[in-house]
Amino acid sequence: MTEPLEEPRPDAALGLDGVPHTGEAMTADGHLVEPQAEDFRHARPAAKDLAWYQSAVFYEVLVRAFNDSDNDGTGDLRGLADKLDYLDWLGVDCLWLPPFYASPLRDGGYDISDFRAVLPEFGNVEDFVYLVDQAHRRGIRVITDLVLNHTSEAHPWFQESRNHPDGPYGDFYVWADTDTGYPKARIIFVDTESSNWTYDPVRGQFYWHRFFAHQPDLNYANPAVQESMIDVLRFWLDLGIDGFRLDAVPYLFEEEGTNCENLPRTHEFLKRCRKVVDDEYPGRVLLAEANQWPADVVEYFGDPAAGGDECHMAFHFPLMPRIFMAVRRESRFPISEILAQTPAIPSGCQWGIFLRNHDELTLEMVTDEERDYMWAEYAKDPRMKANIGIRRRLAPLLDNDRNQQELFTALLLSLPGSPVLYYGDEIGMGDNIWLGDRDGVRTPMQWTPDRNAGFSRCDPGRLYLPVIMDPIYGYQGVNVEAQSNSTSSLLHWTRRMLQVRREHTAFGFGDFTELGCSNPSVLAYLRRWVEPGGDEDLVICVNNLSRFPQPVELDLSDHAGLVPIELTGGVPFPPIGELPYLLTLPGHGFYWFQITQGDESEAP
Amino acid sequence: MTTIQAKDLLDELAEPIRQWLPAQRWFAAKRRGAEVVQTVHATTIIDGDPALVQALVNVDGEQYQLLLGLRTELVEQVGHAVIGQAGGRHVYDAPHDPELMGQLLELVAADENRGGLRFRHEPWVSLETGLRARPIGVEQSNTSVIYGQNYILKLFRRPSSGPNRDVELHRALHAAGSPHIADPLGTIEGEPAGLATTLGFLQQFLPNAVEGWATATASVRDLLAEADLHADEVGGDFAGEANRLGVAVAEVHADLAATLGTETVTSAGFGARVDAMHARLDSVLTEVPELREHEDMLRQAFDAVRELRSPVEVQQVHGDLHLGQVLRSTSGWVLIDFEGEPDTIPEQRTVLRSPLRDVAGMLRSFDYAAFHLVASGEEDRQRLARAAEWADRNQAAFCEGYAKVAFDPRSQPVLLRAFELDKAVYEVALEHHYRPDWLAIPLATFRRRPSWLA
Repeated sequence: MTEPLEEPRPDAALGLDGVPHTGEAMTADGHLVEPQAEDFRHARPAAKDLAWYQSAVFYEVLVRAFNDSDNDGTGDLRGLADKLDYLDWLGVDCLWLPPFYASPLRDGGYDISDFRAVLPEFGNVEDFVYLVDQAHRRGIRVITDLVLNHTSEAHPWFQESRNHPDGPYGDFYVWADTDTGYPKARIIFVDTESSNWTYDPVRGQFYWHRFFAHQPDLNYANPAVQESMIDVLRFWLDLGIDGFRLDAVPYLFEEEGTNCENLPRTHEFLKRCRKVVDDEYPGRVLLAEANQWPADVVEYFGDPAAGGDECHMAFHFPLMPRIFMAVRRESRFPISEILAQTPAIPSGCQWGIFLRNHDELTLEMVTDEERDYMWAEYAKDPRMKANIGIRRRLAPLLDNDRNQQELFTALLLSLPGSPVLYYGDEIGMGDNIWLGDRDGVRTPMQWTPDRNAGFSRCDPGRLYLPVIMDPIYGYQGVNVEAQSNSTSSLLHWTRRMLQVRREHTAFGFGDFTELGCSNPSVLAYLRRWVEPGGDEDLVICVNNLSRFPQPVELDLSDHAGLVPIELTGGVPFPPIGELPYLLTLPGHGFYWFQITQGDESEAP
Repeated sequence: MTTIQAKDLLDELAEPIRQWLPAQRWFAAKRRGAEVVQTVHATTIIDGDPALVQALVNVDGEQYQLLLGLRTELVEQVGHAVIGQAGGRHVYDAPHDPELMGQLLELVAADENRGGLRFRHEPWVSLETGLRARPIGVEQSNTSVIYGQNYILKLFRRPSSGPNRDVELHRALHAAGSPHIADPLGTIEGEPAGLATTLGFLQQFLPNAVEGWATATASVRDLLAEADLHADEVGGDFAGEANRLGVAVAEVHADLAATLGTETVTSAGFGARVDAMHARLDSVLTEVPELREHEDMLRQAFDAVRELRSPVEVQQVHGDLHLGQVLRSTSGWVLIDFEGEPDTIPEQRTVLRSPLRDVAGMLRSFDYAAFHLVASGEEDRQRLARAAEWADRNQAAFCEGYAKVAFDPRSQPVLLRAFELDKAVYEVALEHHYRPDWLAIPLATFRRRPSWLA
C-alpha cells in the first residue's frame, strides 16, 4: 500500500465543532473558509480619544482566573464582564487580556490554533463582543495579545501546509530541505529546544521555529501571510477591540547571515499594520513586546519625525527589576541609571511599565548586555535571583509589607510610562509556590470569604487551580469584599492613588526630570506637562527607598515662591525659597506634590 | 556711583573681616581665631551696584582669598552673609549673590581680563550663561558655586602660587578621555602676590551624583540593622559598587600614567620615604600616648619596605583619595578634588607617588565607613564583627576591581600595608585634634589584621 490514509480534516484538532472556526469548510480552490467579522455583532465604539493610551492605567487580567459565570471551575469572558463594575470603581482604563484564542494550551495560549475563534472554556466570539461592549459602556477599553510570529502546529494553516506543499498554504511556513539555514539565529528556549529547525515527517522537510517546536514560524516573506495576518487584525478591530499587544515582534522575518532579529523588513511590516490601524481604526493601539534594551526597543516606535509610525507602545522591561534592586540596595542608582539610558520616544508613543505580570522576567534576554552591570550582580545574589527569577506576586515579594507595597505602587504610577497593574495585586493577593512557577501567580481572584473565594460556585475540586488558603494571604482574609468595606485597606488606597493620578496630566503626558540630591536613598523627580494653552501641571515625587527615615534637601529654587501641595491629602507644605527645600520621609515613605501658586486657596 | 578703591575698602573692613573669618568653614585656625589681617592684594572685578571685589589677605601667616560683594540695598540671598558696612554699602560674602556669580561666569565665558585677573574657559568648550547660581551648602576647604544643572565653580580659599595640581590633573585626564572625572571647563588666574596663582576652577556639575561616603554608609546602616545576616546576604550590599570603584580608580591611574608619565624608584630610593613615615609616627606618638602600644608593629611594618628588592613604579596619583572624594553618578564613579594631600606643602604635592597610596587611602576609607557607626558608645561585639565583615568584603571587592585593570594591590602587601598604617597614623593625629570620638577607628586598625594580608 503506497496510498496514504485519508488525511484528517485540517480543523480536526481545534475542538471547535458547533462554533464558527477556521477550516470548517474549504473553497473549491483549496482555501480554508474562515469566520468573518460580519458574521457577528460589533461592540459599541469606545469614546473618541486618540491619545488615551498615553495616560491610561492598564490592568492585566487572566480570563481563566477572574470570574466563573457558568460554574465549571474556570473563569470566562461572561464572568469577566460581570465584574466590570468593580474595575470601573477601581479606576482602571484598559484591560489587557492574555490570549483567549482557540489553542491546545501547550504555551499558555500563545500557541494559537485559530486566530478567529475563542477558547471554548472561555466562551465564544459573541461573549467577547459582549465583554467589549459592556467595557466601552463604562469607559473601559480592552486590548489583547496577538502572536504574529507563529501559530500552533494545530492551526489549520499548518495542517494544510504540511499536507499540501503545492496548495495555497504550502508557503505559509518556513520550510527547508536541510536544518542548516540561518545558523546565526540564537535558540531562545535553550532548555527545551536544540535547534530552530524541526523535521516534519508528513511533508518530509524541516520547518523553522524560534520558540517551541510545536509553534512553527509563519513565513512573512510570503505576501499572502502578511495579508492573512492583517486580516486577523481587522477581524478583531471590526468587532470592537481597542488594540493588540503584539507578541515576540522582533522575529517575524528571517534573513541569511543575520541573527534574524529586528530586521528592516520586520519594521516595514509593522509600519503596514500601523497604517491599517491609522487609516481604518484610529484610536486603537499596537503595543510591542520586545524584551530588549530600551535603546533598541525604541526602534519599534518607528519614525520620531512622524510621531512614531510603528507601535504606539512598548514595554520597558529593565525598569521593573531595577525598582526591586533599588529598594533592596536602598540606592536610587539602579533606577536613575536606567532612566538616564532610556532614550526619548516619539511624541505619539508611550512606555508600558509594570511591577509584576503573568510571566517571569526573562533574565537571559539581557544578560549579554555589557551595558548593564546589574544583571551580573543579580546572579550573584541568590535571594534576588530566587525572588525575581521565579514568578511571585508583589505582596509576597515584599514580605507583605504594606509600606513597601505602597511605595512600589507609587513608583509605578508616577514614573514615566503607562502603568500595568496585575490582577489581585490591588488587594495584596499571595501566590502558591507549590503550584510551580507558572501557575503560582494565576490562582483565582479572591472576591469574598465564601466558598472558592466567590470566584465560582463549582465543587472546589473542579477549580482550574485551588484558591490561596494560607493564613496570611488566604481568601478568608484577603478579598475584595472585606477590603471594600474598610477605607484603610490596600484596595481603597490603590483606588485613591489611581484617582489622584487621573487628576494630573503630568503623570501620563509630562516630561520627566530627575532631581538630584545628596541622599543616595532618595529618588526625587519632577513631572511637568505644559498645556497647549500654556498652563503647567507640575508634580514632584519624592521616594525614600530605604527602610529608615531619611532627610533630603532638594534644589527647587527654579520654583521659588511656589507652594507644594501634597496630592493625597491636599495639605499645603511650606513655600519654596531660594535655599534647598528640606523634607523628611519615613522609611519607605513617599510624597507626591503639586507645585502651585501660593495664593490659590483651594487644593487641587 | 563712585569707583571702588578695593585696597581702601579692605583696610576699612579689616576689623569686621577679622571677626567674620573664624566662623567660616574654610578658615584653618578656627579655635585660635584671627589676630592680624593684612591685605596682600585687592582688586575690583565688577564695578557698580552690586560690585565685586577680590582680595588676598594674610591672616597670621596664612593666605586666604576673599570675594566681597557690595550693595546699597540688600537682597534676600545675601542677608545672612553680611560682613560689615563701608561707604554706605553693605559688604558681604559674594558667593551667595546669584547676580554677581552670574557675571563671574560671563567673564569666564567671554575670556575677559578684569582687575589683573584672567578669566578663561577651556578652548574646546563654549559656556552657557544666564544660569541660576547658588552656593553649595557643605564644603570644608573651598567655596563652590553651582550654575543651573551645568557647572560648578570652585573658588580656592587658600590659593597657592604655581601650577594648580587640581586643574592640571583634570586637564590631563580630560585629554585622555577619562569618563571618571567632572570635565574641566575654565579657570580664574592672576598674579595677586606677584606669583601666578589659580583662584577659581570651573567644572562640569553632575547634578544627580552622590558622595561615595553617603552610599557606603547607607550600606553599612543596612547591614547593622540586621542581626543574623552576613555582609554578602543583605540587600544593601556594596561590593558591586566597591568593585566598580576599584575599576574606576585603576583606570584613572592608568590614564595619569599614560599622559603624565611614570618613574621607577629602586629600593635605594625607599629610604627617605620610610624615614618620613617614622618621622610622622614620632610626632604623633608625642601627642597620642594610646599609640605607644602599637609602635613596634608600626616601625616593623615601615622598615619592611626597606627590605623590598624590586623597584616601584611611581606616577601622579590622586593624593587624597577617600570615599568623600568620589561621586556615584548615573554613568558610574567619578573622582574629584585632585589637589593632593592637605597639610602638605604645595611642592610636595607634585611629587610622584606609588598608586598604592591611593589604594591605601580607599582601604582606610572603607574602614571608616564600616566602623564610624560603632565607634562611639559601648562596644558591641556582634556589631563590631559585622562592621569588620563589611570592611573586609568591600576592601576585597575594591582590590578585585582594581586588579581588572591593573595589578592586584594585594600582591604588594608590604608596601600597601605600610601606606595604610602610615595613613592611619595621620588619622590618629587628625581625630585626636578634631574628633576625639572617632579616635577609636584608626586605633582599631592597628589591632585588626586585614583579611587581604595573608
